[in-house]
Amino acid sequence: MTYHQRTARQLQLLLLPCVLLVGALVVYPALYSIYLSLTNASLVGVAATHPRFVGTRNYVRLFADGGFWNSLAVTFWFVLGSAVIGQFVLGLAAAVLLRRPLRFKHLINSIILLPNAVPEVVAGFIWISMLAGGDHATLNRLLGALGIPPVRWLQDFPLAMIIVVNTWRGIASAMILMTAGLSAVPGEIREAARIDGASPRQVFRFITLPLIMPTIFLYMLVSTVTTISIFGFIYALTRGGPGNATEIIGIYIYNQSFTAFQLGYGSAVAVVTLILSLAIGLVYVRALKVEV
Amino acid sequence: MNETEPVVPRPRGRDAVAYAILSLISIYCAIPFVWLVLASFDANAALFLRWPSPWTLNNYIGIFVREGGARWFFNSFVVVGAATIIVLVFSGFGGYALSRTNAWWKRPFLYTIILVRVVPPPALVVPLYSILLTANNAVASFVRSLLAPELMRPAMLVVGLIDGYLGLILVFAAMQLPLALWIMKTYFDTIPYDYEEAALVDGASLFQRLRLVLAPLALPGLGAAGIFAFISAWGDFLMPLIFLSSSELQMLPLGLFRAFLRVQQIDYGFLSALAILYMLPAVIAFGFARRYFVQTFSGGVKA
Repeated sequence: MTYHQRTARQLQLLLLPCVLLVGALVVYPALYSIYLSLTNASLVGVAATHPRFVGTRNYVRLFADGGFWNSLAVTFWFVLGSAVIGQFVLGLAAAVLLRRPLRFKHLINSIILLPNAVPEVVAGFIWISMLAGGDHATLNRLLGALGIPPVRWLQDFPLAMIIVVNTWRGIASAMILMTAGLSAVPGEIREAARIDGASPRQVFRFITLPLIMPTIFLYMLVSTVTTISIFGFIYALTRGGPGNATEIIGIYIYNQSFTAFQLGYGSAVAVVTLILSLAIGLVYVRALKVEV
Repeated sequence: MNETEPVVPRPRGRDAVAYAILSLISIYCAIPFVWLVLASFDANAALFLRWPSPWTLNNYIGIFVREGGARWFFNSFVVVGAATIIVLVFSGFGGYALSRTNAWWKRPFLYTIILVRVVPPPALVVPLYSILLTANNAVASFVRSLLAPELMRPAMLVVGLIDGYLGLILVFAAMQLPLALWIMKTYFDTIPYDYEEAALVDGASLFQRLRLVLAPLALPGLGAAGIFAFISAWGDFLMPLIFLSSSELQMLPLGLFRAFLRVQQIDYGFLSALAILYMLPAVIAFGFARRYFVQTFSGGVKA
């Protein structure tokens, strides 16, 4: 064996543990879900030990199932409202404004970062208190001071509320990424435009915004994918309810598989979700232009 | 950050608008914590915002004397800690290999990592549960052949793949590994080959080079990779929910969640104190990791 062959072999060996672990617990399960989705596998009963092959029956049922379409719609509005609009607009605003030499800049920055670090269950827990009904609840009291009567937020506006909570969690990631994008825009270009008489608004609209477009695109892809995979804080907050008003796709999979015990059917939903995420992932791969 | 001063003097009024908008965003971000902090010091805490009366530290002390709060902490640290260590070792070796190889599979491998990262965990838990259940039976029959029946249960709590430490540790490690691998690959890209070459000329073997030359150089990258793995696994709720059921194994997210579900007798003071202590390690870790955060979107950590 030559030196180069030996080195190549050694490098493969070093990579082997990663390949085995991720292969066994991510890639293989992802492929296995396709098989499961073609069976009547269950958590209980005969089908638990001896699942039968049922062909595309789960998929036929899936596409006729109002619950599935509901969860897709809820997921869509959830992603649009929180990741695409809420987090992005507030994150971009914070990033732009925090570029000024303001006092309290670092304090404000830290405050915005804080929700991002909060574990999912804690996020659910504190927002239950915020959004509780009755006139003693935190949000109702704040709004009461403005003369707005108390609202049962989680009962009457469930989807809007999980959007509000997820926006709260994610402003920081948008802000951090946008700050990085903005700092890559050369100051000279903006200065030149200002000297030529452009207003700050025009500079932002015609110079800064086009230049940070790639960053925005990247953010949209990543945040869409991560928002689709959310489970924990919504489960802690609403468990998908009331009814199925906040049953985003992750919670729908969980409920079908582990509450209704239908692993096969849950897998069919999982496969659809996987395909959706991988499609976005492929665009992401193209957009990143990975350097090797 | 780009700190160039604008050439045209800024009117004062624009700063006022900036302050107003930033204040609103800050209030939005901060206000949910007010109740949490106050309730945790309140002897008669309720779901509603109220000024603590009387003030007390008993909620915090209570965590470690009742309800198994200390056990939840212990379990969380064991599982997340072990997973993080696995991630560090595997991603350290793997990232190095990925950075240094020129083999044909390098580019496909990198693309695969990105695709693996977009797989939503909720879509994975069903097949994962099914696979680990099968594997768990194999582990159980192996353990049964080695140990006395009365030791069976304690042993399975440790090495079991379903409802055992080992299973959850491996699942967490597998979930966090792709990002860590990516961070480490990019980090090793920034370490010149010259260092290794020098050691190579001196006759160092690959493992000597890794241990003596590269490991010290890679520490910042490993720090970032480890912190992200820790934060993400520490805050995760789905995996413990699916894979743990024994009360001995209860982790913080589940303990908090279940304690909260007992509608009749919720002790909000206790839960708030627990929630604060639970989020503290993540907040501290995030403070360290903040400057590496951008690279998790686009590439790895630059030296």
